Amino acid sequence: MKLIHTQSLAIGYTEGRSNKVLQENINLSLSSGEIISLMGQNGVGKTTFIKTLSGLHKGISGSVYHQDRLIDEISKSSLARQISVVLTEKPFAAHLSVIELIALGRHPYSNWLGRLSTSDKQAIDLAISQTNIDYLASKKLYQLSDGQFQKVMIARALAQETDLIILDEPTAHLDLSNKIEIMLLLKSIAGNGKGVLIATHDLQVSLQLSDRLWLFNFNRPILEGCPEDLILQGAIDQTLFPINNNIDLTTGTVKHLDERKGNVLLQGDPTIVHWTAQALQRNGYAVNKDTPTSTTINCLDCLWRLESKDTSTSFDSIENLLIHLK
Amino acid sequence: MITQYFDTSIKKWRQLFVGMGVLLIALFALNISLGSVAIPLSSVIDFILLRPPVDNSWHLIMAKFRLPKALTAILVGGGLGICGLQMQTLFRNPMAGPFILGISSGSGLGVALVIFLGVEAGLLFELSGIARSWIMVCAAALGSFGVLLAIILASVRLKDSVTLLILGLMLGAASSALISVLQYFSQATNIQAYMMWSFGSLGSLSWNELMIFSVIIIIGMIMSIGLSKSLNALLLGASYAESMGVDLKIIRLLIIINTSILAGTITAFCGPIAFFGLAMPHIARMLFNTTNHLLLTPLIILIGGILMLLFDTVSQLPGIEATLPINAVTALLGAPFVVYLLLRKRNIHYTFDK
Repeated sequence: MKLIHTQSLAIGYTEGRSNKVLQENINLSLSSGEIISLMGQNGVGKTTFIKTLSGLHKGISGSVYHQDRLIDEISKSSLARQISVVLTEKPFAAHLSVIELIALGRHPYSNWLGRLSTSDKQAIDLAISQTNIDYLASKKLYQLSDGQFQKVMIARALAQETDLIILDEPTAHLDLSNKIEIMLLLKSIAGNGKGVLIATHDLQVSLQLSDRLWLFNFNRPILEGCPEDLILQGAIDQTLFPINNNIDLTTGTVKHLDERKGNVLLQGDPTIVHWTAQALQRNGYAVNKDTPTSTTINCLDCLWRLESKDTSTSFDSIENLLIHLK
Repeated sequence: MITQYFDTSIKKWRQLFVGMGVLLIALFALNISLGSVAIPLSSVIDFILLRPPVDNSWHLIMAKFRLPKALTAILVGGGLGICGLQMQTLFRNPMAGPFILGISSGSGLGVALVIFLGVEAGLLFELSGIARSWIMVCAAALGSFGVLLAIILASVRLKDSVTLLILGLMLGAASSALISVLQYFSQATNIQAYMMWSFGSLGSLSWNELMIFSVIIIIGMIMSIGLSKSLNALLLGASYAESMGVDLKIIRLLIIINTSILAGTITAFCGPIAFFGLAMPHIARMLFNTTNHLLLTPLIILIGGILMLLFDTVSQLPGIEATLPINAVTALLGAPFVVYLLLRKRNIHYTFDK
């Protein structure tokens, strides 16, 4: 089921009397159960687009439909029951407790005095257990780490019980394990039938976990599709790395072009070979794993044996091996 | 788990509210009993419970002066406190107070115009004695509602709350400048009359004035309880609040109208009581460890009343004829209290800096 779609939408903002258009002719749609990553360089209009979709910002022309109803015609309070957001803003009151913050998600449902009914409490309970933050419930916001804070904000959005959740850079400032945890959490939320849209810069994680990508470019039409198709078409290359920085896009790693120090044959345990190869490449060696060369390194259990011509030397760490090679 | 959490916290808060209510009543009785003439507490209790009076002169003092003053103190304390709270949340600025939008300067200008330009105004002031003349009240009200009108018109046009804040500061500065010009060309007696007004006074309301005053303030208090839910959403920032269904334009307008009416009315009847509205939200947040407006608003109404009664009791200097100006007492006693709380807490966590 289509949750949200746009029709020849143009986004941007008004500067004095003129409109500054960031993106135009946007025709995109997101269905329930889908997780989509919105990517593009800084300043390309990701946040503006997200705010336009969630009704926080007016589009310049064209229209946004939520379940076939024009978003401008939906009242603020019923829109709040259909779309929830996780933004980059931090609250004014770090003194709020986690549970009070999540309870704020029930704002569109509670009465004028903010009284929580049984169903409100159940929704809060469910949001907390879905995000696995039971242990944080009674903490204050200032006691949380960045990763914990982000999970709490996602729990608040879940407590709002909307069919669409829109997130602006939910994994910024997080370490890799927290990034993956948040993305897996969002994936499971989408698995429960909600639509999830994420604006993000995290290439590797989004490539693996998104159903589709929306790529925003400067002065070029928006590209969309399955992540793998976009990689093969070179679309990601164009969008995210217009300047060639020797980045291997399929793995998201840095290519080593400087291989003038010679060829090395690596043999032995695959894991040790993998990391030894990375160390040698960083130091300017070309590494291969089958063709014989003048230098061979045997990677045994925590022992590296360097064999060249007639000599054979052993090292107990990669660091010592590198020192010898220099 | 959640239900249990809420149940225990409801029990805790209920106890606190009952305790505060008892304290308020106790201070109310104490405030009535103390003053230049000390009245025994038993007579005060007789008086409050409408029992026949033992001493007619005591009864007269309580009925004519002390009771309206104590009631005024409770309303002023609570009213100024919630104004400060609403301004601090709306502008996301812990330094905002009820007069941040220039309301007190506006009413100051109104009063200054009456005193300095009206030839008999100084005389009127002399004549009025304890019950302030209606002319003064009307002048102050006109001044503050003039500023209020300008702010409301601007808030409909302006998108940004901070711009509004700067506009309020400018209006305040312009009014103060005009007052200075008026003072510069005035006679010493008129300047003194204006100074007397600017010291603030809780005891100048007659029963007629108190009737109007209390109706407006109580309506304002009920309105601010109704705004508390939206103020909570505003803690997360304007965008989040909007995404949760808060109609920003209307809520912002309601908050400004609510604050302006409360602060404007209080200034009109009691003069510019500075500091209190700025400090009250901090005191409440630090004492009760919460930023939830649904709790803070009623708590501030209670503790604002309690503290204002206390300050007023002190300002009467029991046993002595003279009374200190309330404006000086609130800051003199309030500031050390806030400093003490700050030092004890070390950090009030308005930001995420640890």
